[in-house]
Amino acid sequence: MAVAQRSWRSHYRLLLLILTAATLLTLDFRGFGPLDTAQSRVRDALDPVVSAADAVLGPVAEVWTVMFTYNDLRSENERLKDEIDRLASADIRDTAGQDAFERLLDATGVTFVEGVERLTATVLRDSVGNFDDDVMSIDLGRREGVVPGMAVVTSAGFVGRVETADAASSTVTAVSDPSLVVGVRLLDTGDVGLGHGMAGDPTRFVVDAGLRWPETGDLSELPAVGSPVVTAAGSRYPADIPVGRVASVEPSEAGLTQLVTVDLAADVQDLGYVTVLLLTPADEPPVGPHSPFPPP
Amino acid sequence: MTASQPARSVLRGRRLPAGGSVAMIGLRLVIVHLCALVLQLTFFSQVRVAGVAPELPALVAVLAGLFAGPRRGSVIAFCAGLMWDVYLSTPLGLAAASFAVVAYTLGGITEGLVHDTRLRTLLLVFAGTAAMVTVYALLGGVVGQRGLIDDRLPRVVLIASGWNALLSPAAAPAVRWAVGSGPARRRTRRREPPASPLKER
Repeated sequence: MAVAQRSWRSHYRLLLLILTAATLLTLDFRGFGPLDTAQSRVRDALDPVVSAADAVLGPVAEVWTVMFTYNDLRSENERLKDEIDRLASADIRDTAGQDAFERLLDATGVTFVEGVERLTATVLRDSVGNFDDDVMSIDLGRREGVVPGMAVVTSAGFVGRVETADAASSTVTAVSDPSLVVGVRLLDTGDVGLGHGMAGDPTRFVVDAGLRWPETGDLSELPAVGSPVVTAAGSRYPADIPVGRVASVEPSEAGLTQLVTVDLAADVQDLGYVTVLLLTPADEPPVGPHSPFPPP
Repeated sequence: MTASQPARSVLRGRRLPAGGSVAMIGLRLVIVHLCALVLQLTFFSQVRVAGVAPELPALVAVLAGLFAGPRRGSVIAFCAGLMWDVYLSTPLGLAAASFAVVAYTLGGITEGLVHDTRLRTLLLVFAGTAAMVTVYALLGGVVGQRGLIDDRLPRVVLIASGWNALLSPAAAPAVRWAVGSGPARRRTRRREPPASPLKER
């Protein structure tokens, strides 16, 4: 009898835990504000401890990284040497100093968005777990005016969006994340659609909603391979930020819509610095009855 | 009145685990949780094998299930998962639910067993971590999270479980200390010596 009672209590406790988790999941999915705030406060409270531990353990971890990426570093070094040789052969030695300076400006200067305040951030760390390869932490937070939803770019193009903003740091979901849906415009045809990253390939992006396959069968209506893809005016992000170039166009399984694969313009892996566009995002989701994008 | 008496009076007859008051055990668990979390966020965000890091919060959860049993272990695992959830991009509660369910199951299965060998603990940690990571990914897939169930999943499960198994000899004493459980070998019941026939006389 006593054993059965204990067993029931034990099951009851597990049930309570599962119900608590289900409640938290539901609230989180619905974007319950106090829950986000509570999480942010916890991260803020632990931030000094994490930063201090990072400062102490970082060099040790670096040793590991160097040990196991030695071959990569060597090949990178050889590639850079080749690059230097190529530049030297182009007889630009006299202007090398000026050229390097200009290229540095190009790397840090974002030219495709006008009239938007921006801040350059350092990438603190890449993913912390094993399933969030497309998430990175940056050293700007609410103190600097960063809020969730802001666009993050490099000079090459769109990198992602601010997912959470703590006091002194933020997390950014990269455009390669399959769950990050972005409204895009294909410059070749002017069509707008919705796309997302491709699981397992951080260099690709697929536009799979909103682009109709030509009913007439006229393939000239399809976007040309290599044509640019940018953020659409109706998306959550500023318009005309480069996303990438069309790599291939195929019909969907049903044959009614286009599946446009895009080579991402920005390399979202191993980033050192990014630029946050301090433009408060629109509240409207990119899908819905008033959306410029057709439903998926 | 000693410092531990108020806590004891609140519990009213509940059996306290060996190793200190409830407050003390709570404090020790917070310390172990924080150490695991900070190590995971700093050192092990860079130190990876084939791109896979250990899952230290899962390691704490598995060991809590083994050393504290299904009832207390599931609560400790839930807290470990919840803290980990704060830093993950998946919704809050996903890791907490996965860790609690697996720690409860593992604790229930092994409740009557003695984990006094390192090899047995190591194997249980491997199996427990594999189960936790798999349940986390499956549950994430069920609630609509993309990118959790793909070709990488078996690799992540195997390597993360291997990492945790390797780290378990270092983590086990810390978790055992935190949950207030004595060394496992003390759990073994000493066999009663056969009654001496002389005494009966």
